[in-house]
Amino acid sequence: MSIASSSTTLQTEATHQPLQRPARKPRPVAEFLSTYVFSKDHKVIGLQFLFSTLVWFLIGGLLALAVRWQIAWPWSDVPVLGKLFAQQGGQMAPEFYTMLFTMHATVMIFLVIIPILAGAFGNFLIPLMIGADDMAFPTLNMLSYWFMWPAFIAFGASFFVEGGAASSGWTSYPTLSTNVASSPGAGWGQTLWLLGLTMVGVSSMLGSVNYMTTIILMRAPGMTMFRLPMTIWAMFITAVLQAFALPVLTAAGFMQLADRTLGTGFFSPEGNIVNNWMQATGGGQPLLWQHLFWFYSHPAVYIMILPAMGMVSDIMTCFARKPLFGYRPMVYSIAGIAGLGFIVWGHHMFISGMNPALGITFMVSTMMIALPSAVKTFNWLGTIWGGKIQFTTAMLFALSFVSMFIIGGLSGIFMAATPVDIFIHDTYFIVAHFHYVLFAGTAMGVWAGIYYWFPKMFGRTMNEFWGKVHFFLTFIFMNGTFFTMHILGAVGFPRRLADAYHYETFHHLQPLNAFMTWCAIGMVATQIIFAINFFWSMFYGPIAGRNPWNANTLEWTAPSPPGHGNFDFQPVVYRGPYEYSVPGAEKDHLMQTDPPNAAAAALAAVH
Amino acid sequence: MNASAATISHGHDHGHGHNHGDDHGHGHDGHHGPVLQYQPGLPLSRGKLIMWLFLSTEIMFFAALLGSYVVLRFGAPVWPKPHHVHLSEPIGAFNTFVLICSSVTIVLALEAARANKTGLAKFWMVLTLALGGLFLGVKGYEYQAKFSHGIYPWSPRSRVFEKPDLYYGSAVRARLGEPAIIDRLKELDDAAENTLSEEEIAGRRRLKQIRQMVMSPDQQPFDLAVVADQVMPLPVEANAHGDKGGHGSHGLNDTFPWLKLPAVIPGGNMWASTYFFLTGFHAIHVIVGLIVFAILLLYRLGPKRAGMIENAGLYWHFVDLVWIFLFPLLYLF
Amino acid sequence: MNRLSGIFWSLLFLAVPVLGVATFAVAPAFDIWLPKDVSEHGKSIDGLFYFILALTGVVFVGTELAMFWFLWKYDAAKAKGPATYIQGSHTLEVVWTIIPAATLLFLAIYQMNTWADVKMRRPAMSPTVEVVARQFEWRLRYPGRDGTLGTPDDLFLVNDLHVPVDEDVLVQLKSMDVLHSFFLPNLRIKQDAVPGMKIPVWFKATETGQFDIVCAELCGWGHYKMKGRVTVESREDFDRWLEAKYAAQESTQPEADPSEAVALAN
Ligand code: HEA
Ligand code: HEA
Ligand code: CUA
Ligand SMILES: [Cu+2]
Repeated sequence: MSIASSSTTLQTEATHQPLQRPARKPRPVAEFLSTYVFSKDHKVIGLQFLFSTLVWFLIGGLLALAVRWQIAWPWSDVPVLGKLFAQQGGQMAPEFYTMLFTMHATVMIFLVIIPILAGAFGNFLIPLMIGADDMAFPTLNMLSYWFMWPAFIAFGASFFVEGGAASSGWTSYPTLSTNVASSPGAGWGQTLWLLGLTMVGVSSMLGSVNYMTTIILMRAPGMTMFRLPMTIWAMFITAVLQAFALPVLTAAGFMQLADRTLGTGFFSPEGNIVNNWMQATGGGQPLLWQHLFWFYSHPAVYIMILPAMGMVSDIMTCFARKPLFGYRPMVYSIAGIAGLGFIVWGHHMFISGMNPALGITFMVSTMMIALPSAVKTFNWLGTIWGGKIQFTTAMLFALSFVSMFIIGGLSGIFMAATPVDIFIHDTYFIVAHFHYVLFAGTAMGVWAGIYYWFPKMFGRTMNEFWGKVHFFLTFIFMNGTFFTMHILGAVGFPRRLADAYHYETFHHLQPLNAFMTWCAIGMVATQIIFAINFFWSMFYGPIAGRNPWNANTLEWTAPSPPGHGNFDFQPVVYRGPYEYSVPGAEKDHLMQTDPPNAAAAALAAVH
Repeated sequence: MNASAATISHGHDHGHGHNHGDDHGHGHDGHHGPVLQYQPGLPLSRGKLIMWLFLSTEIMFFAALLGSYVVLRFGAPVWPKPHHVHLSEPIGAFNTFVLICSSVTIVLALEAARANKTGLAKFWMVLTLALGGLFLGVKGYEYQAKFSHGIYPWSPRSRVFEKPDLYYGSAVRARLGEPAIIDRLKELDDAAENTLSEEEIAGRRRLKQIRQMVMSPDQQPFDLAVVADQVMPLPVEANAHGDKGGHGSHGLNDTFPWLKLPAVIPGGNMWASTYFFLTGFHAIHVIVGLIVFAILLLYRLGPKRAGMIENAGLYWHFVDLVWIFLFPLLYLF
Repeated sequence: MNRLSGIFWSLLFLAVPVLGVATFAVAPAFDIWLPKDVSEHGKSIDGLFYFILALTGVVFVGTELAMFWFLWKYDAAKAKGPATYIQGSHTLEVVWTIIPAATLLFLAIYQMNTWADVKMRRPAMSPTVEVVARQFEWRLRYPGRDGTLGTPDDLFLVNDLHVPVDEDVLVQLKSMDVLHSFFLPNLRIKQDAVPGMKIPVWFKATETGQFDIVCAELCGWGHYKMKGRVTVESREDFDRWLEAKYAAQESTQPEADPSEAVALAN
């Protein structure tokens, strides 16, 4: 157990090579199951999350294409997908369109972004980056993955039940969602949607308490809280957000389920009749759901970006070969975003009929939440300033995260201004905003993370050339698709409309929409490059050593991929995670485990 | 410099995933890394920390439910008083007492287990289980009382109406037209006076009146208000026709429990939704706690199990605490 | 080769602010821009929009240019010597917290007046018209000759809203079934219609013409076709139109359908 030798990197590690099987009866099926299916190893669970979410990412992307098809060429025959689902001989029915974007958003948010950040990266990275051998509760961890399956099944099955999948938007506002007569998808589809949501919630809840426990109790000796890499800070605060926000959505989901199945009337006013059908006894308030939903879902948008912010910070420091600019402000700003995130939910409800005076308080708090984001943005810029920038694929994705987050964040300011929101609420300006933060932001961060940690996950690096092609095309097509949405929104082009061209105000916008759809098609097609690169590199990519990027954090001291128990030595931490280019040090990076004497002289010279 | 931290951490290793048991068999045996040491940020065991974290998620869950209750209640134009909906404060108070006692007994069980008095620990544990069971029993009795007055959490079964309107009239008429009820009514009409109590005789007279009222083709909303008042008189504040109904006297539904006529309780349906929802989720939590206790009873309750008993107890205190919020909100205000 | 790749990628990031600004600059030329505003309060909403556009535009261009410049300048293939070893700067942190804070606080206060005008300072008058949304149409009810809503002489119409120009108009907004949203793009008005609530909406149109009424809240499969028209016309035209509609209603329906009246009244 030598600490010094572990940091001599780039040696291929024999630890994970299969050894002689111990003398016991071979049980291949049982072993396969326990190793790859019902594994309690955080790394395997992380990869299970990764593969599942990538599959759903593809499904969500195809649903988006179908959405785009209808917007660009309404009521024309849908290629491929038309044969699968749509009635009316290949054309899309309007209720099918509402179902498409509802399920597109549901899949992307609840089955892709949240589980890929917390489930895949959180699981894989947390124990490795803090120097633990696993999560605090491995069985619970396994359960948190397996609770995703009922959700996969519920959401997946809902496409095939009578009336189709849920179709009241991912926000599921009552009474559209509570009254079964209100739309075809408000039948079984909506019930399955609520059940799926609850299961995702249980999974996230199990994950989040486990992560917090692990991070609090299982850090390696010397790994103080303020030596944690940003990724871990982000995961920790995300877990806090989840633990405190999610139960509210779960409660609201149960209430909506009761309204639908038992006939309680939490969200239906007295005597509410939709389509000649009275579902509930009444006496409730439709706005109550919106409050509960956004109380969760606003913090949830930060759940969907904070981990990406953390990962991007780590990746940018590594490829700028510089310490993170303003480590502590970066930590405090994450905490600030999370804290403020709980008091801004009303900005989704400015024109919902909520008391307008309340709108003012939510407007002010929303403006204030831009501050910690500003701090983060400027510190990222400070990080690349004066660096030695290596344009690796991971770095390019990380840089584009910052560049695109600025766009998405700034469009948030328009909407935070209540009078402007009167005009742009529920237009494509909003759609532009959240695709910039969610797709151009978070998904870019996710790709950065995949390219960066792929060597740790599979022991091989991804192809850089094709990675850059993937980046370039995605970047171009993405901006082509989503930037134009801003100006569509400026016209007032409403979201969630199957066909808006029969309005005088909007009928000249079809060519622009067609252009965006072509870009979207290009963007999805580009992902074929990624998929091939991903699978090819898993088996044939160049072997990566322990530390292919010369990074500092603990995961790079473990073998690639790490064996059971992660570390083949006891990691002891001597410094923060970003000691790059320390003057006088012989290497341009000092790993967290490098003992101090090697660098003491150098550091002394600086201070 | 961190050697001390490393030693401190050593004590906190229980319950973690080092013995992966049958996870093995793919060649990593023997190549296990070292047993890792940690620097814990809090002087808590993993089990206890995760329990506290889990309870904070539970707090948010109930906070959402209670918050919704407050919003719905104060947003509603009318809200029934406890007597309108047959809530009995003494029974609720008794149940509160039962639950508090069970919180005490679980602490005693923990003490006994720590002192290695396993028999005593079992005794207190059984007592906790019994008190929890008693709580659920009383709760069941209370639910039954609501059901018998037609107050259901789900709408087709509910026999509660907001106001004595035409819908109410037709619901009463429908009930009186059910074959089983027709038979019972005939029986009642034919019964000799001496087989009936005084109350029943008066009730029979009142019942005849309201049957005429609802069956008459030109009934007035005013008549329906009288009907509602006879079926289930509301105490003065909520009753516009205070002098008509016999206050202090029973409604027809009380005199003839089989009658089960629809009743008018302004705000009653929303009240029922929230009441059953809140107490129902609380009851589910009680049941989960009882299951945990039952499982614990299978073991020897010595110091080795103290950690588990403590966590179960923490949970139980939380369940108790939720009730302490629910009781005044639902029964007293 | 390596040099080239750094140049290529920095230029790609330079393209972001360049093309971003260009998009916004050419959009009005293609009429892909704010639709014509015909309301009194719309001026301040649009003014605010432009103000925020300018503010965020400056921030956008500034940060994206800085990013480009750093990528260009600090490319590893170009830079000599090691990266600057710097942990951060307290002064800078304070500066770039205070300046945005002041800007945003100013913005927050600056806009309150407009918001209050549009949503809080309701004109003291009785409703000009009641708009009741339902799947998938706008039901309108004008107070008949007696000038009060809810009386038997009310005028019932569907999807065809008329309002007088240069006068305050107060709409009483309701929904019969699910959420809808009353969106008048040219009048810069949007308000959700919520079942169980009566929400006042007011505006003053400044120009005559015919404009769209859009439903902006998802209300079911027919959401996309829940289209109405609003006609802004002079007082005389408006009165004449009202009179004609009224006469038409009286001749076709001697009495307004009572069941509908009940449904609309609650
Ligand atoms: C990851 C997801 C994510 C993130 C990070 C954000 C971030 C922000 N969001 Fe967004 N938002 C969504 C996801 C997200 N949002 C989604 C999904 C919806 C729609 C839901 C639906 O209806 O379906 C939505 C909707 C939404 C609305 C409702 C609009 C409407 O429906 O009418 C509003 C309104 O205020 C809003 C505001 C903001 C603000 C102010 C931020 C801020 O946090 C942004 C802060 C960042 C910056 C400002 C940029 C960097 C800062 C600087 C460069 C400093 C200098 C800046 C200035 C001085 C201005 N968002
Ligand atoms: C994380 C969230 C997320 C993501 C990533 C996306 C991605 C996309 N979205 Fe979506 N969208 C939402 C969240 C998201 N969206 C939400 C919340 C709504 C609101 C819904 C509502 O109103 O209720 C919405 C609505 C929405 C609309 C508006 C519909 C309407 O209002 O009528 C449109 C229209 O253009 C659209 C388009 C797209 C497109 C073209 C993409 C593209 O970027 C998709 C690109 C997809 C890919 C690129 C797939 C990549 C695949 C892989 C990488 C897998 C590789 C496989 C292996 C290795 C196995 N989305
Ligand atoms: Cu009505 Cu959308
Ligand atoms: Cu938000």
